[in-house]
Amino acid sequence: MAVLKVLQKEELGKLLEELKREFQIVAPVIRKYGKKERVEYHQVEDFSEIHLNRQPDTPPKKYFLPQNERLGEEKSGEPVVEPGDRKTLIFGVRSCDLKAIDILKPVFLDDDFTDTFFQKRLENTVMFGLGCSERQDNCFCDSLGINPLEDEDVPVYMYDDGEKIWFHVTDSELEKFFADFPDGDPEELEKMKKVWQEEFEKSAIEIGVPIPFPELVAFNAPFWKEVAANCLGCGICTYYCPTCFCFGFFWEKREEEIDKWRTWDSCMFPLFTKHGSGHNPRETQEQRTRQRIMHKFSYHPNNFDGVPACSACGRCISHCPVNIDLRVILKTAEKYLKDEEGVKSSG
Amino acid sequence: MDKYLLPHKGEIVKITQETGSNLNIKTFRVRLIEEEVRKKFKFLPGQFVELTVFGVGEAPFGFASSPTQEEYFDISIKETGLVTEAIHNMEEGDQIGVRGPFGNNFPYEEIKGKNLVFLAGGIGLAPLRSLINFVLDEKNRDQYGRVQMLLAFRSPEDMLYKYDFSNWENSPNTTVKYTIDEECEGWVHCVGYPHELLNEELDLKEPDTVFFTCGPPIMIRFITEELRNSGIDPANIITTLEMKMSCGLGKCGRCNIGRHYVCKDGPVFDLKQMEQMPAEF
Repeated sequence: MAVLKVLQKEELGKLLEELKREFQIVAPVIRKYGKKERVEYHQVEDFSEIHLNRQPDTPPKKYFLPQNERLGEEKSGEPVVEPGDRKTLIFGVRSCDLKAIDILKPVFLDDDFTDTFFQKRLENTVMFGLGCSERQDNCFCDSLGINPLEDEDVPVYMYDDGEKIWFHVTDSELEKFFADFPDGDPEELEKMKKVWQEEFEKSAIEIGVPIPFPELVAFNAPFWKEVAANCLGCGICTYYCPTCFCFGFFWEKREEEIDKWRTWDSCMFPLFTKHGSGHNPRETQEQRTRQRIMHKFSYHPNNFDGVPACSACGRCISHCPVNIDLRVILKTAEKYLKDEEGVKSSG
Repeated sequence: MDKYLLPHKGEIVKITQETGSNLNIKTFRVRLIEEEVRKKFKFLPGQFVELTVFGVGEAPFGFASSPTQEEYFDISIKETGLVTEAIHNMEEGDQIGVRGPFGNNFPYEEIKGKNLVFLAGGIGLAPLRSLINFVLDEKNRDQYGRVQMLLAFRSPEDMLYKYDFSNWENSPNTTVKYTIDEECEGWVHCVGYPHELLNEELDLKEPDTVFFTCGPPIMIRFITEELRNSGIDPANIITTLEMKMSCGLGKCGRCNIGRHYVCKDGPVFDLKQMEQMPAEF
């Protein structure tokens, strides 16, 4: 049985103090970098810092796949200090970022090679979802079938109406934390959700490209040249991406010991695929940009039940230094693939 | 210790200098140190391992010995980069990290009863040697048909596994031919690129024949084209691909060709599969 609870914003601290007894709390907070303000996920002690008003600049991916992770001492096989048993609560995760973690699951929890680091972090983490009351910069999750106002897999999903925070609690074990707070009126919430939903519909873009892209036709398409023409290969899109998971290994020497680490890496970098012989199967930026997009919209969905490796959060668009827009790429692909299909069926 | 991401320890028990002065290829015989690990370590022809030089790095290499040799495995390595250089500087008795085995394998079961042709160029012979020695092993030889080999090298100086040749030549129903790029003094075998010699030197028309080829990418391309033009079914032309495989688990993102990860779905592919894959290797 689900319960609906509603808190005045000032009461949030009270709830979190209770949750803190069981969880280490991670939430979006503002960090200033000179004049620039960013919203990032951090472990919080002072709950007044929490900032739910907009999509965090960086996704919570690092709590499942840290940017750098020590895998262990290589020569002795000395036991790894695995992620601790302390439960983490990530507070206020929007539907796109929830979906992104879902996308990573079949990759790292596959039967052949289960990644115990990812697995352990996932087991020890609870996420409270957060509905979007308005479209965020450059995002289009609704175009990829993600609901910005609901997620069925999280135990708690929240809504922020500006004054109050609504909690839709579906996990009975978590209900105890909400016992002291009043019930919300489901109709009132539904009314608000409807208004938000309608606003989303007004600004929705239609993505009609077939997913997965047909592998060979899309790979051999001429539009990659145009799409990648300005790309600097800086890789920032992959670092902001909530679903990019390419990694590399590096080593760090202590005294006699050598630690093996795993670190985020990027398919946008030329050295990523360069062989020792000098041969590089993805030598040009055009090839690398194609790889990134094809991986997300063709290879990954082909391998994992048709689900693209993109949750349409829009961060790659917001942060690209040369304004490459994923939505434009998807529309370009859509037009080309539809024309190709047309040529085939008429010819 | 993580099961897949950290290496087991192996000892280099023997180092063989394969080539002359032209190309520096050595073969390293590796024996896993822990008995329990050694017993569990089962590889098949066509698979590969990640070898770690402690404190230097890790790189992928195909098995060059047959799994019928259970105590150790051989890896042939050409000195090309940081890791291979460090391995070349190692000595017998040194320790090396071993992660694997990874990837799929040559279809050694499916090809039972069939005739086999091996077409190798340079160090491309290394992964094929694992299957050749498996097929020609006394215990297995009668399960396979005729075996033909055409082994190509740049020059006599660049030949590897010379110590295997007489065994191969003397194996029942087996012919071995050798070719080098350019005529040289004292050379009594073929001269020329292998794809130009296929029709002349091999019997391609024998039914029920499966072709295995490995070598420089350009050689694989010419040979597969030539075989296809000779009417061979692409499903019977098998090769093994090389990419910069790093994790070996189909995750890190370096070695995919389209949706296929060479480290997990490969490295062994037949030409029928490859014709459906994007040309990005």
